[in-house]
Amino acid sequence: MTEVFGIDPLIIKNEYFIEYRHSYGKTSPFFENLSKGKIMATRCEHCNKTFMPPRADCPYCLRETKWVEISGKGRIHTFSTMYFAGEKFLKDVPFYLAYVELEGVDTLLLTRIKTKEPEKLKIGMKIKLRIARELEWRASDIWAEPDE
Amino acid sequence: MTRKVAIVAGGVTYFSKARKDKTQEELAAEAMRMALYENDINMSKDDIEGSVIGYFSDHFENQLKFGAIIQDYLGLNPKSNVRIEGGGATGGLAIREGYAQVASGLLDVVAVIGFEKMSEVNTAKGNEFIALASDTDWDFPIGGYYSGYYALMARRHMEEFGTTEEQMAMVAVKNRNNAQYNKFAQTNPKMNPYGMRDGGFIKVEDVLKSPYVAYPLKRLDICLMSDGAAVAILASEEKAKKITDTPVWITGTGAGSDAMRAGDRPRDNKSLPLLPHEKPEWYKNLEYPGVHSFRAGREAARQAYKMAGIDNPLKQLDVIELHDAYTSSEIQTYEDLGLARYGEGGKLIQEGQTLVDGEVAVNPSGGLIGNMHAVGATGIMQAVEVFWQLQGIAGKFHGSDKTQVRGAETGLIHSHAGTGTYVTVSVLRR
Repeated sequence: MTEVFGIDPLIIKNEYFIEYRHSYGKTSPFFENLSKGKIMATRCEHCNKTFMPPRADCPYCLRETKWVEISGKGRIHTFSTMYFAGEKFLKDVPFYLAYVELEGVDTLLLTRIKTKEPEKLKIGMKIKLRIARELEWRASDIWAEPDE
Repeated sequence: MTRKVAIVAGGVTYFSKARKDKTQEELAAEAMRMALYENDINMSKDDIEGSVIGYFSDHFENQLKFGAIIQDYLGLNPKSNVRIEGGGATGGLAIREGYAQVASGLLDVVAVIGFEKMSEVNTAKGNEFIALASDTDWDFPIGGYYSGYYALMARRHMEEFGTTEEQMAMVAVKNRNNAQYNKFAQTNPKMNPYGMRDGGFIKVEDVLKSPYVAYPLKRLDICLMSDGAAVAILASEEKAKKITDTPVWITGTGAGSDAMRAGDRPRDNKSLPLLPHEKPEWYKNLEYPGVHSFRAGREAARQAYKMAGIDNPLKQLDVIELHDAYTSSEIQTYEDLGLARYGEGGKLIQEGQTLVDGEVAVNPSGGLIGNMHAVGATGIMQAVEVFWQLQGIAGKFHGSDKTQVRGAETGLIHSHAGTGTYVTVSVLRR
C-alpha cells in the first residue's frame, strides 16, 4: 500500500535505497596502515608538499606521491561545535569539528575533536590524532584529542 | 570576435519552504510565463532558439535528466537543450553558458531556466544531500555538513580579522528586512501567499538570540531552503534591440574554482588574484586563501572586472545580488569582490555601506537569507533581480518600490558553490 500524506495536492511516499561498492583506489594503504597503528600521509618529492588527506597524485605537478608516516601531532587551526547535522549524524550532536595543522603536513585536516572538556578548546591548542580500536574503514576512524 | 549579449526578460516564482501545489515543471512554467508576459517585450515563446536548464540535485528531485521534462513541459522541443550543474553556483554557471551560446553566435535567443524542489525530503535529509556535495571520503563521514564547514571558516575569519557575530547579524537583518518589500520572498508572510508564517522583520537581537546551529552561526545567520524556479531570457544585440527598449547588457563574466576540501587550499601568499585597485603590500602577511577567504570568488571577480572595465568596484557598482548562504560568507564575499580590503568586510556592513541607500546595495531582493535558495534557481533569480533593478522596474515586480536602487546603472551577480569550489561573477549594465 502506498503511504499517502495529503490529497489536495496528492502527496505520496517514495523510497529509494542504494548500496554502493566503494573503492578507495590508490589511497587504500592509508586504511591498511591504520590497523598497524600508523597514520600515513602522501608526499610529492618534486613539489615538497605533504598531503593529508592523502592524494596518490600531486595536484601541483601530477607526479605520483610517496607514502610517509606522520606523527599525528598538531594544533587546532579553527574549530566549532555542531548543534545540528545532516540526518545521518543527528544522533551525535553536539559534537566538535576542527581543521587541524599537522606536523610535517602542508594541508589542513578536517576531523572531529573528542574531549571531556570542550570549554577548554581554543585555536592554537595542541592536539594528537587517535586511531579507533575497531576500524570502520572510514575517515571517522581517526580523530583529534587535546594534547596539552 | 564575440557578440554583445543582453538580458531581455526575466521571471521568478513565489518562493516557499514547500510549494506542494506545483511540480518542478509547473514551477518552471510559472517563472517562464512571467518572463514572457509580464516584461515589456516584443517577442513570443517561438523566438526562443534553445534553453539552458540548471538544477542542483538528482537526489532532491528523484528524477534524472529532469531537463528533458522541463523542455517538453515548456513546449521548447525540438530545440537545443543542455543541463548545467555546479552545486550552489548552478544558476550562475547556467547564465554563463547562455551567455557563451549567444556571444559565440551559436544561438540568438536563449532561455536560461533554473529550479529546485527541496521540500520533497525533510530538512535534515536535505542538509545531508547538500553535504554529499562535499568530499564523501574525508569530510562527510565525520559528520561534516555545510553549516559546519562555514562555521569553521567564519571562526577563522573572526580570528584573523576580528569579525564579530554582531556584524554577521547586521547582514541577516539587512537581507531579511529587504525581503519584506519583495512579494516573492519566502520570509515575507504579508505579501507572499506561500511565505513562512514566522517570517517578517527582524532586529540584531533576534539574530543573536536565535539558537546556534554551529558556532558562530545561528539559525538566522543561515540561508533558506526553498522550492521555486527562475528564468532569464538572453539575446544577441541585434535581437535584443528589437525585443526591448531597455536591454541589460552582460559586460563582463568570470568563473573561478578551488579545492573541494577547503583544508587542501594553500596558506601562502602566492596565489592571491589582485584586483586593479589593490596593492600587493596590503596582503603581504596574509595566508591566502586559507579557510577564511574564497579564492574562486576573487578570481571570478578579477576576470569579470577586467572584461567590464571595473577598477573601483565599490564606487562603480550600484547594486549587487550575491550568494549569502551565510551572513559570514556575505562578509567574506565583500572582500573577494574587492568592495573592502581583506579583513575589512565586517566594517562595510557596520558602516551601512551595503544597505539599499548605501554606497552599493547588496541583496536588495533579500538574497538567500531573506528571499530564497532553491539551489538551481538562485543564480538566475539574481540575474533577474539585477536586470529589473537596472531597468528601474523592480518595484513593479516586487509589489513595493522600497528596495529599488535609484538610478542604478551597473550591477553585479555572484553565484557560489560548496565552500567556494565554483564561483561565477558577472557584471551587468543598462
